[in-house]
Amino acid sequence: MHIPDGILPAAVCLGGYATTGAATWYSLRKINQQENPREGIPKASLLTAAFFVASWIHIPVPPTSVHLVLNGLLGAVLGYYAFPAILIGLFFQAVMFQHGGLTTLGVNAAMMGLPALVAYHLFRLRRALGKDSRAWTGLFGFLAGAGGLGISVLISLALLITTIPAHLDVETERASIYAMSLAHVPLMALEGVFTALVVLFLQRVKPELLEGGSPLSPFPPTLGGQGGG
Amino acid sequence: MKWKFVLLLALLLALGLPATAFAHGAKIEYTINMAVEIRAAYDTGEPMAGGQVAVYAPDDPSTPWLTGVCDEEGRFTFTPDPSKPGTWDVQVRQSGHGDMVHIPIGENVAMTGGTGYTPLQIVLMAACVVWGFVGTALFFSQRRA
Repeated sequence: MHIPDGILPAAVCLGGYATTGAATWYSLRKINQQENPREGIPKASLLTAAFFVASWIHIPVPPTSVHLVLNGLLGAVLGYYAFPAILIGLFFQAVMFQHGGLTTLGVNAAMMGLPALVAYHLFRLRRALGKDSRAWTGLFGFLAGAGGLGISVLISLALLITTIPAHLDVETERASIYAMSLAHVPLMALEGVFTALVVLFLQRVKPELLEGGSPLSPFPPTLGGQGGG
Repeated sequence: MKWKFVLLLALLLALGLPATAFAHGAKIEYTINMAVEIRAAYDTGEPMAGGQVAVYAPDDPSTPWLTGVCDEEGRFTFTPDPSKPGTWDVQVRQSGHGDMVHIPIGENVAMTGGTGYTPLQIVLMAACVVWGFVGTALFFSQRRA
């Protein structure tokens, strides 16, 4: 999932940095427009720590193994804070563990951060669609978690498939890239469930943490969906 | 007449006998060629079986000097050209994952080396970074209260 140094051509790395720069600017602007921009920093910081260590949690998916990404979760819970959170998390992963790389930091941040923002809007849809039950929140939490990761996998698949260098055995590499991407499908389900559990837990114990402190229902769980989730 | 015969015999001896002696001799020269064995594995310790290897010589870091494939245990062995001292780069990649190791060949040769850290180092570094994040969270939540 994290693309290391020396895999992608320089033009792609530059494009990644450009995209990440624009997305960071936009996210920070959105954060700054909030009433109290500092309010979200503690939870963003804690979730950055979770994101940072999540990549060490490996899930065996024979014949390979994948690791947690959690970008969908960050998007759903943090909103626009998710992009800088992921950027910072990736920076430390690259510097400390060579997980990813500094030349590909832009690409990786765009690859995981933009889907996180998609996940955020996906999760917000639950309000737009009217219902505010626990089942509904859980469902959209699942969609955000699985969707955020799924889009990242697709972006990484597209980037890797189109930039296989000629000196490699292209067929073998392509097959292994497809296999690697397929191995993320069970992980999508897993992260979807995990995201659903986290948002349900937050909604129960501290609902103001969801959606930047503007809860529609201050005293959940509501009557509508107690059996769900 | 006789001295001519002796001279001819001496000439034959001088040429022929040593020649036959040379033919029976053997000569062995040696140069020490260091083979480099790399072992590629994922973070989990799982070997990168079938990973594609590209070896780059110090004089041309853009085109691979040699390409190959790791065996089942993620191992790959090659013999660098000793006439090209410097840092040889070996990249192993598989499905978009991979790493590059820099191997000094020549005067400052290092007999072993690698990339990555020991588990203890990783745990320690991760703990420091996590504490940094927790500290940030504590700092900003304190200001808010």
